[in-house]
Amino acid sequence: MAEPVADPEREIKRLQRCINDLVSLLALPAIWSSNEPAQIVAMLLDALLRMVRLDFACARLKDPATGVPLEIFRVADSFKLKAPPQDIGAMLSNWLKREGHDSLPPTGSRFAREDISIFPVPLGIHGEIGMILVGSERAGFPSQTESLLLSVAANQASIGLREAAVLTEQKRIANELDRRVAVRTAELAATNEELRKEIAARKLEEEKLWRSEERWRSVFENSAVGVALTDLTGRFIATNPVYQKMLGYAEAELQQLTFLDITHEEHLPENRRLIEDLLGGKRQQFQIEKRYRRKDGQAVWVRNNVSAVLDADRVARFLIALSEDMTQRKLSEEALAKARAELAEVARSSSLGVLAASIAHEVNQPLSGIITNAGTCLRMLSADPPNIDGARETVRRTIRDGNRASDVITRLRTLYSRKELSPESMNLNEAAQEVTELSLSELQRNGVMLRYELADDLPLVVADRIQIQQVILNLLRNAADAMSSIDDHPRELLIRTERDGGNQVRLSVQDSGIGLTRQAAGNIFEAFYTTKTDGMGIGLSVSRSIIEAHQGRLWATPNDGPGTTFSFAIPCTLDLDEAEAGVNRSAQSTDAA
Amino acid sequence: MDALHGMPHCLVMEYPKDRSDGQAQLLSVVVDDDESVRESVPDLLREFGFAARAFSSAPEFLSSGCVDETSCLILDIAMPGMSGPELQQELKRRGHEIPIIFITGRKDEAIRARVLKQGAAAFLLKPFSDEALLAAIKMALQAI
Repeated sequence: MAEPVADPEREIKRLQRCINDLVSLLALPAIWSSNEPAQIVAMLLDALLRMVRLDFACARLKDPATGVPLEIFRVADSFKLKAPPQDIGAMLSNWLKREGHDSLPPTGSRFAREDISIFPVPLGIHGEIGMILVGSERAGFPSQTESLLLSVAANQASIGLREAAVLTEQKRIANELDRRVAVRTAELAATNEELRKEIAARKLEEEKLWRSEERWRSVFENSAVGVALTDLTGRFIATNPVYQKMLGYAEAELQQLTFLDITHEEHLPENRRLIEDLLGGKRQQFQIEKRYRRKDGQAVWVRNNVSAVLDADRVARFLIALSEDMTQRKLSEEALAKARAELAEVARSSSLGVLAASIAHEVNQPLSGIITNAGTCLRMLSADPPNIDGARETVRRTIRDGNRASDVITRLRTLYSRKELSPESMNLNEAAQEVTELSLSELQRNGVMLRYELADDLPLVVADRIQIQQVILNLLRNAADAMSSIDDHPRELLIRTERDGGNQVRLSVQDSGIGLTRQAAGNIFEAFYTTKTDGMGIGLSVSRSIIEAHQGRLWATPNDGPGTTFSFAIPCTLDLDEAEAGVNRSAQSTDAA
Repeated sequence: MDALHGMPHCLVMEYPKDRSDGQAQLLSVVVDDDESVRESVPDLLREFGFAARAFSSAPEFLSSGCVDETSCLILDIAMPGMSGPELQQELKRRGHEIPIIFITGRKDEAIRARVLKQGAAAFLLKPFSDEALLAAIKMALQAI
């Protein structure tokens, strides 16, 4: 339309107005503060209603971000229809549908029986965003400038909507990220919290464990019995001081050893078997009495109680042993067993048969002499001529032997009954000499040199003369016997008496004989112990009983040179009650059981 | 005379107490550590018509120098040092064949069996009667 402009001023003003409107439109995106599509479109429609003399404007679009359909309707106040915008919008939709104008109606379509020109303005390059429909009754609508404005407005709207969409999307993404971060953070926080609780719980457990460990350690260290913890091979892991001391090893040394290493071989088979049973579940614990070998080589008897330590899955992990030193007890047991055996021996040997045998033996000798002498006597008297002197001699011997037999009976009766001693005040020197004189011929015949060292100031002693003499006789016989096989040095017998301590006298018989072996020394005073082939072995034990009944003691010591010295010491005065008790004691130990 | 009752007269004649023709008497030896035995038995032996000697131990007898002349040995079983059975062995070892009559205070079947097996002539239990001893000596000497 290149017509000449009729009214240039008015035209200029119109164009200026148009440019101003354009500028405003161009500025629109900057003032779209929120990115709400609805708001954008609404503002746009309002702007359009002002700028372009429209009767109504309607926007139909899909929210680019959410795809939600949106319809906004604006009506000018001057619009003839004077109906609410929603109704008009509805009417418009219906008309559009009816007319088949779902998308873009052709320009210039009429509406509502009125002559309203409808001008569609697509939003988006291809109308994908939606469309704006504007309408006006005015003829010639839209004018050139109005079209321009509407297009620009649509472009701006598109731009705005796109940007809004982008921003919305960005926002959405940002929100999504925030959300995810928040979720993650929450997860982490939760995990943290869990972890914290777990740590707290574990700490509590550890503390409980520590406390029980403290208690355990206290028990372990301060236990009165030895405690040892080993692995399943028996290697020591931990031992308490008592255990270490018992074995003479330091803990570090023990940790190189297993308990089987230090167990006496004798006990190993049983020990191994019990461990097998324990680990195999056949028993919960076992006890064993055995010998350990200490570091210094000594043996120590222990009583062990061993059990297995199980882990949470009830599997054996360690062995624990409580170890009690029973050396003392073992020694006592052995001593007791020995004492019992001795008692049994004495009891057995106190039976009447043996008593009778001992009496028979002691009496037999004088009895044999009597019978032989009597027989000899008869023959002598029957001879032709009778041998009176010889007969007299035999009779003398007979009487002597008869007396001797009687003495033996008396002595034995005293010893084996509960009769009291018949003590008298006697001179030990004289008694010793008497007895020795009796044996003199025999001693001389055996080549024994006899010497005396008798104390001058020996006090009198109250004692049973016969019994004391029997003891001396026994010692003399033993001394002579001990020297009977000696021929490389003189056979010397020394009888010595002396004061012993305050109130005792001592008599010693010293020989130069074969002496006592160590074994013999331990046993010589025991009943029925003898080194002689036909000895009854009652001589020294009876002698000791006699001396002990006198509250004295009898002992033997080896000489510096060859031989032995047997000595006894008895108090000068006798406590009769104690003496009777002593006799009773010795009688009890030799009575028939 | 009771002791000689029933004994053949010739026996008394066989061992006269002393012989004026100077023939030596047979020597009987007693070895016993018991003094009463050493006192009484030699007298009895002399009544039997023997010469008699007594020793208190086996070594004493062995070193006495009259082992060769001993016709009969009366020997105690149990003695300190060398016992009776040991002396029996020793005499055998030295080649002596002296008849031995063992005397003992203790009855022990095992020892009795052993010494008899080793050649002892008799085993007497103390106290023994003079007749028993005489009978034993007879047996011992006849055995040679």
